[in-house]
Amino acid sequence: MKSIYTYIKSVLNGIKSLLTGMSVTIREFFTKKVTEQYPENRATLYVPERYRGVLVMPHDENNEHACTACGICEMNCPNGTIKVLSKMIEPEEPGGKPKKVLDKHLYDLGMCTFCNLCVISCPSNAIIFENSFEHSLYTREKLKQQLNKEGSKLREKKKPQA
Amino acid sequence: MEAIKQLILATAPEAVLEEKAHLTVTVAPDDLRALATALKNDPASRFDFLIQLTGVDEGENFSVIYFMTSTDDMTRQLVVKTYTTDRENPVLPTVSDIWGTALLNEREVFGFLGIRFIGHPDMRHLFLTERWKGYPLRKDYDASREANPVDVTSYPMSDHSETWVKGKDGIQHEKIQLFEEDDYVLNIGPQHPATHGVLHFRTALDGEIIKKIDVNCGYIHRGIEKLSEGLTYPQILHFTDRLDYLSAHINRHALCICVEKAAGIEVTDRTEVIRTIMDELTRITSHLLSWATMCMDMGALTAFIYGMRDREKIMDIFEETTGGRLIQNYNVIGGVMADLHPDFQRKVKAFIPYMREKLKEYHQLYTGNVIAVNRMIGVGVLSKETAISYAVSGPVGRASGLSCDLRKIMPYSAYGKVEFKEIVRHEGDCMARYLNRLDEIEESLHILEQLIDAIPEGEYCVKTKPIIRLPEGEYFQRVEAARGEFGVYIQSRGDKTPWRLKFRSPSMALVSVMDTICRGAKVADLVTIGGSMDYVIPDIDR
Amino acid sequence: MFDFSIVTTWVDQFLRTYLPEFWVLAIEFVVVGVVMLALYAVIALVLIYFERKICAFFQCRLGPNRVGPYGIFQSIADMLKMLIKEIIPINHTDKLLFYLAPFFVVVASFLTFGAIPFGNGLQAFDFNIGVFYLLAVSSLGVIGILMAGWASNNKYSMIGAMRSGAQLVSYELSAGLSLLTMVVLSGDLQLSTIIEKQSDTWFIFQGHLPAVVAFVIYLIAGHAETNRGPFDLPEAESELTAGYHTEYSGLQFGMFYLAEYLNMFIIASIATTVFLGGWMPFHIGGLDGFNQVMDYIPSVVWFFGKAFALMFLSLWVRWTFPRLRIDQLLHLEWKYLLPINMVNLLIMVGIVLLGWYF
Repeated sequence: MKSIYTYIKSVLNGIKSLLTGMSVTIREFFTKKVTEQYPENRATLYVPERYRGVLVMPHDENNEHACTACGICEMNCPNGTIKVLSKMIEPEEPGGKPKKVLDKHLYDLGMCTFCNLCVISCPSNAIIFENSFEHSLYTREKLKQQLNKEGSKLREKKKPQA
Repeated sequence: MEAIKQLILATAPEAVLEEKAHLTVTVAPDDLRALATALKNDPASRFDFLIQLTGVDEGENFSVIYFMTSTDDMTRQLVVKTYTTDRENPVLPTVSDIWGTALLNEREVFGFLGIRFIGHPDMRHLFLTERWKGYPLRKDYDASREANPVDVTSYPMSDHSETWVKGKDGIQHEKIQLFEEDDYVLNIGPQHPATHGVLHFRTALDGEIIKKIDVNCGYIHRGIEKLSEGLTYPQILHFTDRLDYLSAHINRHALCICVEKAAGIEVTDRTEVIRTIMDELTRITSHLLSWATMCMDMGALTAFIYGMRDREKIMDIFEETTGGRLIQNYNVIGGVMADLHPDFQRKVKAFIPYMREKLKEYHQLYTGNVIAVNRMIGVGVLSKETAISYAVSGPVGRASGLSCDLRKIMPYSAYGKVEFKEIVRHEGDCMARYLNRLDEIEESLHILEQLIDAIPEGEYCVKTKPIIRLPEGEYFQRVEAARGEFGVYIQSRGDKTPWRLKFRSPSMALVSVMDTICRGAKVADLVTIGGSMDYVIPDIDR
Repeated sequence: MFDFSIVTTWVDQFLRTYLPEFWVLAIEFVVVGVVMLALYAVIALVLIYFERKICAFFQCRLGPNRVGPYGIFQSIADMLKMLIKEIIPINHTDKLLFYLAPFFVVVASFLTFGAIPFGNGLQAFDFNIGVFYLLAVSSLGVIGILMAGWASNNKYSMIGAMRSGAQLVSYELSAGLSLLTMVVLSGDLQLSTIIEKQSDTWFIFQGHLPAVVAFVIYLIAGHAETNRGPFDLPEAESELTAGYHTEYSGLQFGMFYLAEYLNMFIIASIATTVFLGGWMPFHIGGLDGFNQVMDYIPSVVWFFGKAFALMFLSLWVRWTFPRLRIDQLLHLEWKYLLPINMVNLLIMVGIVLLGWYF
């Protein structure tokens, strides 16, 4: 008799546990949904300002950047994402020393691991991570970018740094 | 400690004892097995928990370093070293019959350094293919592409293994058959929804019942330990997030502590508290994901989405402060990358009651469910002895009654200042592991509650030298990651790069017991057990 | 209540006035066949959308919302994709069985589909052994699944098929016995008669507790027969990747997919017909005004309304529970459902003999 009692009890307990679970899902059925409607909500999308999307070199309105082509970022990069190519330019006034300036700052987004070492090690704060995130492209070649713009040059030291 | 020294000298009189950060014993290969047996069985030492086993190319010789502790007192630690000078054909005795941990770890050492372990029952490469030329962790390894060209040919997997035994005429090797002739072998993985990554179980079945599992790893091995030998310490840091990406923050914390201790860098109280808070948030995300995927493995997809939804809340909190969601890159040597976001405290405080509410919902939805209960109770029982032998720790070890929470045993960072319970269960089945994780979320919330309003003022990062060199020596740091004990071993020769760096991954121990606990279970149980073990493949395949 | 048989009889008479009997029958068969096939496909499409949307809502998501308003054309897009996808030929399969299996599954479900009364007078054929026929043909599907699993020459498929065999054969018992319980109550096997007898009160209310128990058991067993929900062991995606249809692609996979959804509908329709009065409106004895209002709602709406309500229940269950293990699945059948069903049948026989039903 006792076995029949435990049998029935186990059936009822089982059903009760199942109904508890179902009550949870039906409650969720009517709660607000959490899906992000992505392309539509681009305008209102909140991306935290510290988010590391892509490495950029900020240029000011005079097309000037702060990179001195010292190569510390290249040295600090753990997997060779950054290549700093410099060139020597002849001094403007005769007798001066030739100056090393940035020719190309090459950055491979496909290689980057976003470890932030280049940004924290940069002595002149020339590069920062920007939080854009839509990086899909058709070829891998296009992920290789040149960070300094055409014709840009080094910002003069006299200007106060922000 | 004196008693242990005496014991060592009594068993191996020629052993060299050194007092470093840990007591280090260097012993000749012939004495190794006697010493290991004595250390494990003697009541005064009882070193029954082999944390890790590392092979190092020391230049003129190869050494293998056994790092062990005792489950009587986890703070009692000992380093045993043995070596072989034969670079052509190095052999060492196995300890795999003394500690189960050695089974997979010796295979790893064999694959990477070419040291054969005499008496090991299954001497195959663990991570590399049999056709790999050279031994990567040797210093004279040829890493050029020509030595191992990319080969896209599909080679059948061998059904045989080897064992090396000492016979009358020197060392002989014997062939071992992995499966019986008429076994029905099911390949679970490398691409399979329930392995949570590229792990390969060759499963011999009898109907639905599992007879044997042969674990194959290495499908995503990236050679992080080898790569680290050529990188500076700050550069190595970015690898740690990519080991067990679900406890990225904790792994990075471990390496930071290790380097800071070695270089004598003092971090501020603020850093310690921030790191602790982040560790606990990481633990919650990891356990949430584990809960979610375990439910998914058992067929409850809705529970999976709920888990992921709530995990997303923490990811958003992380993203604001660290700038990353999964790979956070937040700890740096000397502190953390950036100060806490102004909204951080408010958001964490809002999250704690939210999570408590959701935990209740999880229990209602899943814990009590009669189907789930029947599938978890008594399934995949991991006994305490097996757990100790294979050095299984974390929530899984604690579900088998092994008290191994390093946050309690050897508190680091701010763990000494907070009070929390260590969750220990004794059943050792899937249900115990499942409940342990949910209870640990609760405890983590409790820790967060104590710390979130008590973040001291100060610098978030101290200035360090631009190039960090560690003084010559060996450093080992253990922390409690979400899946168990995570360890960093650094052998430095005074350079800015380590001579040898080894990560002790908790998932490797979890995977090594799968064969033992799955035997006799059904295919569906394999999935449940796998979910409850919660191994992360990149953590195994470093 | 509009009787659709007026339309069908009129068409029949119209044709007979112009054509000999053979051609009349031929035309009618073709027309009915085409209509049924179209309905079969449309119901499957609707169901796929229905399931995806409901599953999403249970999971705090929005579900398909890109193709058309609220994503209503999503399943049509999926269907087109499925139709134009390549069928990947696989070596080392048993070609004949491999290609035959999906048809077997679809034909079995289509045969069942044909006998369902969708509304007043809307039934393709009405056997005097209707319930028996439904049970007989609906269990043919398992042969297709076994064939698929065997012919694929894949270990996952094989295990899936074997599980499926054990599962379907076991649950066929419960489904059959619970329908038998209702046959005892109705005293007839013909579906139209069964519905006719429920014009005042549905069987589930007529038969007291035994009817309710039989209803619940039928839902569980039916759910298991459709290989869905907590009983999706034959495909068990986290264990067997996709079970018996792992190796199928393109339209062949589409057929299994189609049959799965239709089977869900068929189980819901049979439950509706036998327990919930089929297309009969909801009547309460004595409330004539209320009953008349109910009669204004067309019979087709009643039928599909009830069927979809049952399917919602099935989806609710599916998206809440974890999967059973094969031994637990068989325990549930042989240790719980079958004994309860036997006792239930006896009680029902007693009730009918004593005349205690309404």
